[in-house]
Amino acid sequence: MVSEVARLAAARRNQEWVWSLLAAVGAASGPFVLGVIMIVLLVFAWPSIVWNGDTFFTTYIWNLGNLYGGAPVIRSGYAAASGASYGMLSFLVGTLLSSALALVLAAPVGIGVAFCLSEFAGRGVSRVLSFFIELLAGVPSVIFGLWGFVVLVPWIQRTAGPALASLLGFIPIFRGPVPTGMGLLASGVVLGAMILPIIAAVSRDALRAVPAELREQGRALGLTEWEVARDLVWRIAAPGVTASCILALGRALGETMAVLMVSGNALNYLPSTIYSPISTIAATIVALLDSAMTDATGMAIHALAELAVVLFAVTVGVNLIAPAVVRRVGRQRGWVASWVTGGNP
Amino acid sequence: MNWRYLQGHLAIAGAWGCVGVALLPLVHMFAIVVTNGERALSWTVFTTVTSGIAGGLANAIAGTFMLVGLGAAIVVPLGVMGGIYASEVREGRTVGAARLAADVLAGVPSIVIGYFGFVTMVTWLGWGFSLLAGSMALAVIMLPYVFRATDLAVQQVSDDLREASLALGATRIATVRGVVLRAATPGIVTGWLLALGIAVGETAPLIYTAGWSNYMPALKLTHAPIGYLTYVVWTFINEPFASANALAYAAGLLLMLLVLTLNVTARWAIARRA
Amino acid sequence: MTMQRLWANPLGIPGGSHEPSGTQGDNRYSTAPRFPTIGRETAAHASAGPIFSVSGLHVHYGGAHVLKGVTLDIPRTGIQAIIGPSGCGKSTFLRALNRMNDRIAGHRIAGHVLLNGQDVYGRGVDVVALRRRIGMVFQKPIPFPMSIYESVAYAPRLHRLVRSRADQDAAVEKSLRQTGLWNEVKERLGVPASHLSGGQQQRLAIARALALDPEAILLDEPTSAIDPRGTAWIEDTLQHLGGEYTIVLVTHSIQQAARVSQRTAFFLDGEVVEEGPTDRIFHRPVDPRTEEYVTGGFG
Repeated sequence: MVSEVARLAAARRNQEWVWSLLAAVGAASGPFVLGVIMIVLLVFAWPSIVWNGDTFFTTYIWNLGNLYGGAPVIRSGYAAASGASYGMLSFLVGTLLSSALALVLAAPVGIGVAFCLSEFAGRGVSRVLSFFIELLAGVPSVIFGLWGFVVLVPWIQRTAGPALASLLGFIPIFRGPVPTGMGLLASGVVLGAMILPIIAAVSRDALRAVPAELREQGRALGLTEWEVARDLVWRIAAPGVTASCILALGRALGETMAVLMVSGNALNYLPSTIYSPISTIAATIVALLDSAMTDATGMAIHALAELAVVLFAVTVGVNLIAPAVVRRVGRQRGWVASWVTGGNP
Repeated sequence: MNWRYLQGHLAIAGAWGCVGVALLPLVHMFAIVVTNGERALSWTVFTTVTSGIAGGLANAIAGTFMLVGLGAAIVVPLGVMGGIYASEVREGRTVGAARLAADVLAGVPSIVIGYFGFVTMVTWLGWGFSLLAGSMALAVIMLPYVFRATDLAVQQVSDDLREASLALGATRIATVRGVVLRAATPGIVTGWLLALGIAVGETAPLIYTAGWSNYMPALKLTHAPIGYLTYVVWTFINEPFASANALAYAAGLLLMLLVLTLNVTARWAIARRA
Repeated sequence: MTMQRLWANPLGIPGGSHEPSGTQGDNRYSTAPRFPTIGRETAAHASAGPIFSVSGLHVHYGGAHVLKGVTLDIPRTGIQAIIGPSGCGKSTFLRALNRMNDRIAGHRIAGHVLLNGQDVYGRGVDVVALRRRIGMVFQKPIPFPMSIYESVAYAPRLHRLVRSRADQDAAVEKSLRQTGLWNEVKERLGVPASHLSGGQQQRLAIARALALDPEAILLDEPTSAIDPRGTAWIEDTLQHLGGEYTIVLVTHSIQQAARVSQRTAFFLDGEVVEEGPTDRIFHRPVDPRTEEYVTGGFG
């Protein structure tokens, strides 16, 4: 009888131990996978880091070299095809410009949407609209690319591009002619449409986090709804809205397929106008992986790994550092919506 | 006085205008995908495979389901268990590392994961373009979302519930399994749906892990490339053949419907919790 | 009859220890002249009866019938207290005076609320302008995301009550003096309002309302969330202000009502059970329910 109870207790303890172990394994899988990815990327990128050095970041010619003849060039123990030179500057410029343009286009609209959803629309309407905004966020990037390719690019080429060129042509970046619709402008608009829901949804949450009593106090002083939103709610939610923009930027920097379909995939030159074809880092990795495999020295693959490392560092950096900075700024100003600090203001 | 009111009305009108601008791409995308896609959509699309530039989408549909299904099967146990661990243990180095890793992983561009999958699984491990490589890549992409959703959902279960169960003599594990998980289920399921939606729409990582195949997927885990819907949208729209373009739209329509269904189901799951 | 005498004791309440202390020369408060009173019609209405005249007020919202035919007049000066147990509708009544209930889901109203003879819910009434004339202070003092100076100057500037910097300075100083905050904050007017203590923030909220030179000030349980010392300060402030302004004070503390007010109304279940001079309500209530409440029977 006693041994029966003891046996049950022991079985139960074993069961507990097994489940706890499984749960811990689950929790550890995240860091494990991340660690493996980081190590593998660095290992694969190392030959390129060493062989290319600084010129990887300062030049914009991406040339696999002579893959069929000529002796491989050896530097610091790593070999690349003769005549090879890897410079990512054009990809870097393309990524930064297209993401910046996307943010400039999406932020005002996204914040406007957030204000509507949080301050001006009724609760039912707000819920319905929020559903559609979140639906937009879930649309696959190839569909955005499809839309961009089929609708936006011809429109830029035929209508918007020439219109911009004639209206603003005195500014260098808007000077025509418009070659094809594929380029920086198309990429910026498509990316903007993709990141807009992030800005709208997160900003809406930041605005909603402002206590309702504050709005009441404003109204009681005879303020209009707009004044309450502009002078009271906005100031408290501003750090959260900024965080949303930076998160959106992080997403834009890493976006691949939609940009691939509308950017024109420029190689070896820097954009001069808003209609110039560009290339982004992410799109380049996709576009060049095939041809990279034909490089017998393998340096092309390593160079792409270095691109991946740079992309990884930039996006992770933006995603992690930004909210922390915003938190610090908000605290200095003396008011932070508690959801950002996660506790006491 | 008048300027104050006018300014208010203008600002509010402007905000509503922003809503219109924001929804315009969504409406337009749906419109072109529906009008062009339903023309190509007939029963044969579901039963024929793509052959070059025409045919059907059977292989792509099957491929998408298999890739996402296997990926989910791999990641759901890990993510849910990890989320439970983080929300029950609450503090500590493992928990902190797990949460940080999830945040970082969620921000990693999917092409980076695709590149990683290519050099490790396809090349180094020698699996070639395959179902397993593609699923693993999708699993890595889905992991942070399943983990975070579970973490949050379990955290929100009130402690009163836990204490009541423990007071009745249940073990910690039994409490978690019986009481906590049941209460957290809507939130956890929402996390799955969110992750599935993301996985269904991925292209870049699959290009270099799953490859592409014009044939119905054989039930082979490795050494056999497999097709998926997003690939069709990407490549076929570029072809100069109308039949190919039609397939691209049809695939796009199917993808939109899948995403819409997942979103609506997620909303329903959240509403049930209330 | 001078204005001064009329406001010192408008209803002829004999005795009582709650007279406003403003004229005693307490050096916490200055007797600086008031700035231009735009929109304030009290001069014309000085002898014209109650400032608020509520008759047959029914308020519904969220499917509930919250106020059931309330009829009450609010005197022009002094403090009118409104007491009653939770859920009796006293807050709803207060908010009905400046139309703060308008936005609540399912809000419906019947009856009249007259401010100086004007129906507050009349057709074409400008709610924004109305709320400028009626100040409101809430239970939880929430600081504006601005400096102390800005918090007070913001609304008058918006309503165009003050234009030049000098006018703003004068208005801010005046309001802060009226609530006894001036000496505490005059050195740090540029500091964010959130740096003040809870009691100070509530007095700042009163100053914010005063800066608009309102005709009446409504307070909804203003000391519930404040510590006892802050509560004492606020009660002092209110008593001082009661000589010049209409003050309507909703309070869950019967002791506070007894300490501070000249008239008290007892609400129960959406109706006014009894209303009259504070002294009488507390010591010689007519209705048995009133007696039960003020002796601490329930609530």
